[in-house]
Amino acid sequence: MVQAEMVEAMEFQALSSKYNVSGVPQTTINDGAANVVGAVPESNMLAELKRITGK
Amino acid sequence: MAQLLNADVVKQIEEAFAPMKEAVQLLYFGKKDNCDYCKDTQQLLEELAPISDKVSLDIYDLEADADVAAKFNVDKAPGIVIAAKDGETVSDFGIRYAGIPSGHEFTSLIQDILRVSGRDSGLSQSMRDFLKDLDEPVLMQVFVTPT
Repeated sequence: MVQAEMVEAMEFQALSSKYNVSGVPQTTINDGAANVVGAVPESNMLAELKRITGK
Repeated sequence: MAQLLNADVVKQIEEAFAPMKEAVQLLYFGKKDNCDYCKDTQQLLEELAPISDKVSLDIYDLEADADVAAKFNVDKAPGIVIAAKDGETVSDFGIRYAGIPSGHEFTSLIQDILRVSGRDSGLSQSMRDFLKDLDEPVLMQVFVTPT
């Protein structure tokens, strides 16, 4: 169900532009449903995932 | 081409890989044209994999091996999948890299290999509970720049 992809922002610039990546790391979930810049503690990640999935 | 991993780095990786428990399968996906870092990434993995007999590497081409790429949801080159290997069975844990894992990302790659080898995500119980009930696909993309 879950896929995690490390994306090299310079190499895949079209994707970086699509999600307005200006600082790294940026974590983008489900095609921009969530965008978090900086380190993401696990509890914050869980909160974002719950918000997106409505669970 | 010159070695990408020097003797000191190889020694450090040997030490990091020493406690590896289970086998790990790396899948590399390259492509022939318009791929600035494919050659370096492939070479990096070809130097990395032999450091541990628990790490295997298969080389694929994004276009020529489109069926394998589709199976592992890889659509970018260079692409790397870090999977578990038990006998002949390869289990996809959904972990991939798009682009060359250099700088900090090389450390992440080593850590991911160790994590997959341990067969334990290290996640909290609350996250595990959430994931158990998850019934829709989630794609997390972490944008990084090599430093």
